[in-house]
Order: sequence, then structure tokens, then C-alpha cells
Amino acid sequence: MTDASKTELVVEDVHKYLGGLHILQGASFTAERGSIVSLLGASGSGKTTLLRCIAGLEQPEVGRIRIGGKVMLDCDQRLTIAPERRNIGLVFQSYALWPHRSVMENVAYGLKLRGVDKITAAKRVQETLEKIGLGHLADRYPDQLSGGQQQRVAICRALVYQPRVLLMDEPLSNLDAKLREEARYWIRKLVLDLEICGVLVTHDQSEALAASDNILLLRNGAIVQQGAPQDIYARPASFYAADFLGANNVASGRIERTVHGASIRGPNWALDGVLVGDTGEGEGKAVIRVEKIGVHGAPAEGRIAMHLDACLYLGDRWEYRLSYGDLQAKAFGPKALPSGPVWADIPRDGVWLFPAAA
Amino acid sequence: MSAQETHSGAASGGRIAISSGRRSSPPRPMPRPGEALAFRRTVIGLLALAVLAPIGLILYQSFLDGPFFIAKSRPGFSAYLYVLTDPMFYEALTNTVIMAVGMVAIAVPLGAALAFLLTRTDVKFRGLLEVVVLVPMFISAIVLAFGYTVSIGPSGFVSMLARSVFGFVPWNLYTLGGIVLVTGLSHVPHVYLYVSAAMRNLPSDLEEAARSTGAPLWRVGLDVTAPMVLPALVFVAVLNLMIGFEMFGVPLVLGDPSGITVLTTYIYKLTTLFGVPTYQLMAVVVVLLVLLTLPLVWFQRRLLRNSRRYAALGGKGGRTTAMRLGTRGQVIALSAIGLWLFFSVALPIGGIVLRAFVDAWGQGVNPFAHLTLKHFANLLEVPRLYHGILNTVIIAVVGGAVAVGIYLLVGLAGHRSKDHASTLLDYIVLLPRAMPNLVTGLAFFWLFLFVPFLVPFRPTLVSLFTAYLIMGLAYGLRLLQGTLIQVSPELEEAARTTGATVTRAWRDVVIPIIRPGLVGAWALIMIVFLRDYATGVYLMSAGTEVIGSLIVSLLQSGAMDIIAALAFVSILLTGAGLGLALRLGAKLHD
Repeated sequence: MTDASKTELVVEDVHKYLGGLHILQGASFTAERGSIVSLLGASGSGKTTLLRCIAGLEQPEVGRIRIGGKVMLDCDQRLTIAPERRNIGLVFQSYALWPHRSVMENVAYGLKLRGVDKITAAKRVQETLEKIGLGHLADRYPDQLSGGQQQRVAICRALVYQPRVLLMDEPLSNLDAKLREEARYWIRKLVLDLEICGVLVTHDQSEALAASDNILLLRNGAIVQQGAPQDIYARPASFYAADFLGANNVASGRIERTVHGASIRGPNWALDGVLVGDTGEGEGKAVIRVEKIGVHGAPAEGRIAMHLDACLYLGDRWEYRLSYGDLQAKAFGPKALPSGPVWADIPRDGVWLFPAAA
Repeated sequence: MSAQETHSGAASGGRIAISSGRRSSPPRPMPRPGEALAFRRTVIGLLALAVLAPIGLILYQSFLDGPFFIAKSRPGFSAYLYVLTDPMFYEALTNTVIMAVGMVAIAVPLGAALAFLLTRTDVKFRGLLEVVVLVPMFISAIVLAFGYTVSIGPSGFVSMLARSVFGFVPWNLYTLGGIVLVTGLSHVPHVYLYVSAAMRNLPSDLEEAARSTGAPLWRVGLDVTAPMVLPALVFVAVLNLMIGFEMFGVPLVLGDPSGITVLTTYIYKLTTLFGVPTYQLMAVVVVLLVLLTLPLVWFQRRLLRNSRRYAALGGKGGRTTAMRLGTRGQVIALSAIGLWLFFSVALPIGGIVLRAFVDAWGQGVNPFAHLTLKHFANLLEVPRLYHGILNTVIIAVVGGAVAVGIYLLVGLAGHRSKDHASTLLDYIVLLPRAMPNLVTGLAFFWLFLFVPFLVPFRPTLVSLFTAYLIMGLAYGLRLLQGTLIQVSPELEEAARTTGATVTRAWRDVVIPIIRPGLVGAWALIMIVFLRDYATGVYLMSAGTEVIGSLIVSLLQSGAMDIIAALAFVSILLTGAGLGLALRLGAKLHD
């Protein structure tokens, strides 16, 4: 699945300490041209630190980093290359546009540093700006642009000199919701069109799922799980991964093996499910994606009798608040249902069982 | 359990490596390439040399039994023995402590009250007052002291007026009490500046709560506002205590006629006590004085660090609404401020302006009938006087600009650096602050005598500029560092990742962004250089006169006409500098 000739970025066993804290605990991954890798995690998970280590703005104490086949960091050899010589582009969360330079000057700076003559540089900047629809704003200053425009200029600035790797630190978090959905689409398109290697840091799972080819889920400085968006969403390896992604129902109870597989049992409820990883019998937790639960007004085989407490209108659908003994659950459906008894479809492989410790 | 029932998210195989090995102690940090270490270390090293060489020379001199330039001087403690058994030294020490403590006791409460009125209440003319109350701070202390001499000294204008009314002068300025009063009132702005900065950030809801329970305004200030700015009050008290120890101009002008000495004037007197240079005794007093002030600098540094933490807690979320003074309150507040302004600004400056244009006054003489311009004619005729004025302008305008450039280099050398050299920088800057300006000048005078290749530069402005550079270092560097820190680190990092080296990022991003701050710093340094009178005292020779050191030396001969004219020019120049600073948007309230 890895095409070595397309590999642009190799990160191997990177550790970073801050004082007594071990804030990166051995991150490894590779990234390829024409694809986006997302570093996904809650705040404090070390995703931005990892990105800054790749950029050379932070120095890890252990590990190796290669960009475009060249060694950028090898802690065993005590070799490290300064950020300006790594041939990367970095888009900051705050965009970090230089306020004293016009859009043109901001974007052209990387070309100027690379000795591109003024006329060629201006032409290339204009082309790049046109590509993202900002051609008419070249002479403006950053404070005269909207947030969305600033973000595009920041990406332009990081792209125009064709870096080996484009690093993006929460590039969408300062945009409003509508703009964010547009931006994640065109960023993905841009990276694929230009055949560059993108690394995207985000805390927003929908951004990671929609924009990337590969997701690294980080927690406390370690990579918890890595895989394609569909894999990581459909087959989480741990309770953390299962709970972090998607909208979920979580239940605590006792896991027992049954003839068919396993089940989880509370004081007055029980659900059949599947064990994930090396989960055994004992106290545990179940994660059920909200969309896995179907709610019906009539009983049928395999349906569980539940009580509908309330029905909330969300615009495009309805949210059902269900109770089953002392188990509380959420589900979605297309129409309003009267409160009272309902029957829920919960497929066995939609109930993931994890040990309580995870 | 079948394979289908057990998911594994680690499907993509081989590419995951989660290291479980937690190391107990972090490994050796990696070097950081491209951080311009060579530049940083060179600049900080040179600065360390410029600061430590003169201080080292003073220390060395203090352990000799004669001046360093006399070959037969031998190492020993005889100079310490002499000073420590000299009753004059103890008298000067006692006077210094009384003066410094007295000054703090007057300046801190008044400065805090002024800050309270101007930041927390709706006192009228606030915009104007905010600038005017700073004036005593910008005027040379020697000019100010001279202004008091000509207005309320034994034969001053106001004293003469009082004599014609009462038949005698009901006060005597030339006493320790007079010195304490003058220094105390003229240092109110120093207190105001810091305390108002602290008060401005306070949210006003606590004060409003106190007022709504019925506390009168003065109680609110005392019981609510003051405790909240206590760190700033302590800091500013320590700062002014140190300024008090280092004060030279006022005790020289007001104390000398009646034989009151403080440590700085004691050093100054030692020069001329025996006819032969007594460098070793001066050096000993300097060492003892620095031993007094250095702990204060140290303490101040710690307070500042803590008060920053404190200020960060307050945040900027709070809204500040001015408390209503009411008509009676306005009258009382404005009268108090007016009275203080009259004494600390109008009286000395008015005295100088009048004195500069008259040639006769006294009992029964109307000074306005004796207006003249002839004192100013002197300034144009005597070379060392017009050279002095010219040099003052050159040192302030050109020297100020060069100094800001050098402070910028020093600031950049320590900017976002994790190198040991930047820690060294923090400590180097403390040293000159512990030295009175008179002593800084003395140290550089000796250095330019002692180091062979520097000797030719001694009678040039180079020696004077070097001394000024170190004299203004602490203030200038604080201005520059304050400006540099405002540039978001991401703007610099963006330049780095785009391909710029550190120095290139400074040149293309940091410096263009802070340009307005640099211009403001230049204006403020210019005022600092304009108002200084003590640094140039020992360095003065044909070619290195400045207005301040000319006044100090003319005081010995009592050429009051010329001093008045020089003082007037000094006030004009300071006014021009202040106007320029405001015009350029320099932040006086920093």
C-alpha cells in the first residue's frame, strides 16, 4: 500500500520532552505526495508539537525525520537541519501573515529567498493567487482581508515555492462553519492537484475524516491508531478511538462471553456486542454509534423494547432520547414519534465492547 | 471467538509504532541550528566587556593605595581603611539614607494618589494632566535644583518677595529637609508612571462594589485600589529608594552651600579634596555604594517577575469605568494637583526663565525692569559653552539613534534565545543600574585613561557616547525588549519555514514591524541623554562638554548668569524632545 517512490515524509520514533514531561512518546508515520495525513487529537495530545518538530521549530530529543529523501533530523547522529533549509511550507493557525507586506509581497517572499527574479516571481504569485480566486487582492494588506481570504493567502504563501511538504496547523479553526466546509474541500483538491504531500493538524474529526487519506489519532503524545478515515471510523482499536470519533452512546456494564460472542449487561438491561482487541470478561464499556440505532414503532424479531422519553427536532432529522432500564441512549430518525414504548434495532456488530481500563 | 468479531484498527500494518518505553529522565537536548548563535554571543560578549571592564577597573582601583596610573601604587586595603574610618563618610551615608527614605515617603503616597485620580476617577483635564505631570521627570535634576535655588533659595525671587512681606524668609532650602522635600516632590512622576500602569488594568467592579456599600472615594482608594496594586507600590518604592541612593544633582546644588554631603557628592568632593587625585578613595566609596544598591536592583528584578505574574492574573477582561468625583471632589483634586504642579514645575522652571532674562533683583528691585538677553550672548561667545550645547544636541539626537541601534542589536541577541548567553545578558544589564550616572561616567573616564588604545578617544565624543550608552542600557533595552516581544513568534516562524534564516527574518519581518517602536524609543532615549548631567562630569574636557556637566562645573565658580542661560536652553531642548516624542507616538506611559 505504500509506494516508496511517492513517499515524501518519514517520521520515525520521535520523542519530545518539555522539562520533566514526555510530550511526544514515539511518533512514527510516513506521508506521500498527493495525499493528506491528518494528525487528529484533543488539545494537549501533542499534534501541534509533532508538526512543529517536522518543521524544525521544535527539536525532539529522540527520533529521525526525512523529507524528500533527505535526513532532516537524526538524534543518534545529533544531526538537525534548520527550519529554513527543510523546504517545507507551514500554514499557521493564526495565518501569521506579515502585516507590513501586501498580499503579493507576503506570497512572493519565499520565491525572493530562493533567488527567483522579480518578474518571474510576480507571475508565479499571480498565477497561484488566481488559482484560489484571490487574483484581484494582490495589492491589499492582510488587515484589509477577511478571515477566509487571509487563510487562502497563508496557504498560497506556503505553496508558491513548491515545498516538499505542506504542513497545516489547524488552518480552518478560525473560519466560520460554512466557510470551513468549503475550505476543507478546496484544500484537499489543491493538494491532490498539485501532487504535494500535506500534513494537517486538527482537533475536528469531521475535518480529518473529510480532508485526509490517512488519519493519525494522537493521545497524550502517542499515536493511538492510524489508518484510512473509513477504517478508523468503522474499526476503532480502542475505547478512546471509538469514543473520540463520531457521535456515540457509551454504556458501562459487565462483559460476558455468550454462545454467539459476547454481551454487556447492566442491572436491568443487556446488549449483544463484539469484543474489540483483547477484551475479556469483566467490567467494561460499550460504544454504540448513534446512527447505528434504528427506532421503530412496532416490535419485530431482534428488536429491543425501549422507552422513548423525548423527541428533539434538529432540522434535517429527529433526535430520540431513549431509556432502557437505567441505560440512556440517543438515536436519529426521519420522523417525530410519540413518547412511550418503542422498539430499537441495535445490530450486534454495532456494539463495540472494551475493557473498562481503556 | 472468530476473527470477524474481533476488530483491529491497526489494519494498515507495520506503519504504527507506539513506543511504550517511558524514559525517566529526558535525553540530552539537541542543538538548535540556525539560531545565529555566533551573532548572539559576539554581541552579548562585547556588551559584557563594555560593562564589566569599567566595573573591574573600579574594583581594582579600590584595592590600590594610589591612583592606578602611578607606578608606585601598591595593592592593599589602605583606601578602605581610610574611608571606613572617615567620619565624613558616615555622615554622607546617614544623609543618603535619610534623603532616600524621605524621598520615598513623600513620593510614593503622592504618586499613588495622583495615579488613582488620573486612572480611576473622572477628574477633569485628564488628557492634559497625564502629560504635564510627567514634566518633572524629563527635566534634568540639576536644572530643577538650580531652578529651586533661583526661586526659593536664600536670595531667590520668591524668597525676596517673602522678605519684603514678612521681613524675613520663613524657610531655608539649603537643609536636609529642603533636599528631601524637593526630591520627594520631583519624583512623584516616577511613582505615578508605574502605579498608573498597574491601576489602569484593574477591573472597576470591585471599586464599584465598595462605593455602593457607601464608602467615600478616599476609602475606596485606600481600602480597595491600593491593596490591589500593592506589588506595584512595593516595586516603585524599591525603585525610588535606589534612585534616592544614586541622586547627585539636587544634593549637590542644595546641600553643598551648607556642607551637607551624600555619598555621590562625597565622591565628587573627594576628587578635589587633596589636590592630588584620590582615585582609590573614590573607588572605595563607589564599591560601597554599589554594594548598597545592587541588592535593591536584585530585589526589584524579583518583584518585577512576581508582579508580572500578578498582572497576568488580573487579565484585561475587566471594564473600567471612572468613579465620579462630584464638584467638591473635582475642586479638591484639581487644587491638590495644581499645588503640586506649582511647586514642582512652575516654581523651578519659572525661576529659571526669569533668571535667564534679568540681571538684577532683590529687595525693592523690580526684576521685570531689568530684562536682558546678555546671558545668552555669553553662550554664543564662549566656545566651550556653545560647544556644550552643540554636543548635547549631537549626543542626544545622533547618539540616541546610534544607541537605539545598538540596543536593538543587543535586544535581538537575546530575543527568543534559549542560549546561556541570554541569561548572562539579564545579569549584565543589572550592573549599570546599580551605579549612579556620575559613577558610570567616572568608570569610563578611568577606562579611557587606562586602556592604551582607548586613550586617544578620551577627549572626543566617543568616550562620552560609550558612557551614555551604558548609562541608558537598562532603560533602552527594556524599551526595545518590550517592543520586540510584541511581534508574534508565529510571524518570525512563518519567515523561517518560508526559507529565511534567523537574521533574515529579523531584517525582513521583525524590524520592519517594530519600526514605529524604534522611533518612539529613539525619542525617549534622546530625552534621557538630553537630561543627563552626571555621566559627563568626569569625562568633560575640551570637546566633550555637555550642558549638564557644564552646569555642574560652573556651580563651583558660581557663574549663575551663565547657568541660568544654559538651564533655559536645557529646558527648551527637553521640551522639544518631549514634543517630538509625543509627535512620534512614543509611549510615555510605559
